[in-house]
Amino acid sequence: MTVESLEKTIEIEDLHKSYGAIRALDGTNLTVAPAQVFGLLGPNGSGKTTLIKAICGILKPDRGNIRVFGLEAGHDRYAVRKRLGYMPQTPSLYDDLSPAENLRFFGGGFHLPDLQERLREVLEFVQLWNRRDDPLYTFSGGMRQRISLACALLHDPELLILDEPTAGVDPALRKDFWEHFTELRNRGRTIFLSTNQMDEAQRCDRIAVVMGGKMLVNETPGTIRGRGKARVTLELEDGQRVEEVADYESALPRLLAEYGLGSQVKRISLKRQSLEDVILDLIGEPQAKERQTK
Amino acid sequence: MIRNINLIAIRINRQFLRDRRFLVLSLVVPLLLMLLIKYVFESLPGLARLNVRISDYSILFAAYLVHFLAYILSTIVLVRDRVTGTLARMFVYGYRRREIVLGYIAGYTTIAAVQTALVLVLTGYLFDINLTPDIAAIVLTVLALAIVSVGLGVFISNFARNEGQVIPFIPMVVLPSALISGIAIPIDDLPTALQWCSYLIPLRYAVEVLRGVVLQGGSFFGQLLPFFVLVGIGVVLLASASLTLRERE
Repeated sequence: MTVESLEKTIEIEDLHKSYGAIRALDGTNLTVAPAQVFGLLGPNGSGKTTLIKAICGILKPDRGNIRVFGLEAGHDRYAVRKRLGYMPQTPSLYDDLSPAENLRFFGGGFHLPDLQERLREVLEFVQLWNRRDDPLYTFSGGMRQRISLACALLHDPELLILDEPTAGVDPALRKDFWEHFTELRNRGRTIFLSTNQMDEAQRCDRIAVVMGGKMLVNETPGTIRGRGKARVTLELEDGQRVEEVADYESALPRLLAEYGLGSQVKRISLKRQSLEDVILDLIGEPQAKERQTK
Repeated sequence: MIRNINLIAIRINRQFLRDRRFLVLSLVVPLLLMLLIKYVFESLPGLARLNVRISDYSILFAAYLVHFLAYILSTIVLVRDRVTGTLARMFVYGYRRREIVLGYIAGYTTIAAVQTALVLVLTGYLFDINLTPDIAAIVLTVLALAIVSVGLGVFISNFARNEGQVIPFIPMVVLPSALISGIAIPIDDLPTALQWCSYLIPLRYAVEVLRGVVLQGGSFFGQLLPFFVLVGIGVVLLASASLTLRERE
């Protein structure tokens, strides 16, 4: 274990996984620093869930390395799992048991001394403490999702791996989830989550965009947005309008240099691309290239 | 390890008790099948002419029923755990392979024990045979068979990705068990190749013990060899199930 690896919660190098002819992960590289909310974005089938399963040690990659807390995710999976909380994409709970029974069963594997206390805390957080003894088959999809998150939080893990945690959750509770993620991050926990919601990407400390099993980008939301274009419009004194779509950083200085800051410019308007548009452009580029090569 | 095995067994039994329809079916179906066997065989005129007493076969049918139900139940349920993702969650939440296999064995053996008790009581009543003198040997043998059946179910479930893929595996075990285990056709009457194949059928050894003890009036200690072969098959199946249970896709 190197000092450098201790500073990284997750390190993934050249990860490959194929299902027949389909390459779910194709040379994926990724680093996640501690105490971050890290968002993994990408369209359906881009390899997000495969990557998450590989990190949790329930999927064997064809080749490549994954280190979690400096430990090898496959070989040292038992040590790694004690320190992570996993929420799968589908609730993966026992429908004929109650939330309390499900949590006691899954939490039982960690031998928590304060299981009952933690159980109450997490069920209160997901606002289902009053339904703790009802069978899960009486719950809606969103409510099951909340129980699944409660299960992942039960042993207060250092790393939370959440596969689309807010899918099917109502907006008010989604806001609460995000506040809790931020609070956990502030307490030094690392949250690694996948999402399809662009507004959630904005709330992450860092985001990675995955497409066809390849990482397209791994930066802060601000930096990614900075890569986007801007539409600059100059209204001149003579009524003429000059419009240019170009890099956010360069468009305005260039137009101003051309037309000058003198009296002939009556009005300047600048509209930046949203983070969502920049990400959609990023995802769209490889798709367009693929279409061209076909 | 023991704690985790216990947690899994308790969880399985809790689920079983919670599912009322499943509970009723699991208990009523064996009873109905025993009734069916009695009336079908008693109505066959050929059997009476051959001087075959169906009561002689009743305890063997009872063992077959327990074997069949325990095998199917454990196969399907473990595959369902894989499909719904609860098996993967168990792994991530600290449960180990051998704990899961032994937990399932413990959980389903409890269910199989209840079925065994019911089937044996009904067998004694319906066929008017007194099982009391040999009850310890019968229970021990049928329970060992039940554990083997659950082990076989867990082992087979590793080869199916979904409940649909389990279906071809059901007749693969159930039919040879009925035909070449010695329940209905004596093994010595089978062609040599099938006699060799019958050594692979766990039910064969349970049938040997039960036939020797209950039908031929021998002592259980005289049947220790087939009994320990049955236990040995159980141990091999448990080890194979633990080794083949896929933890990582």
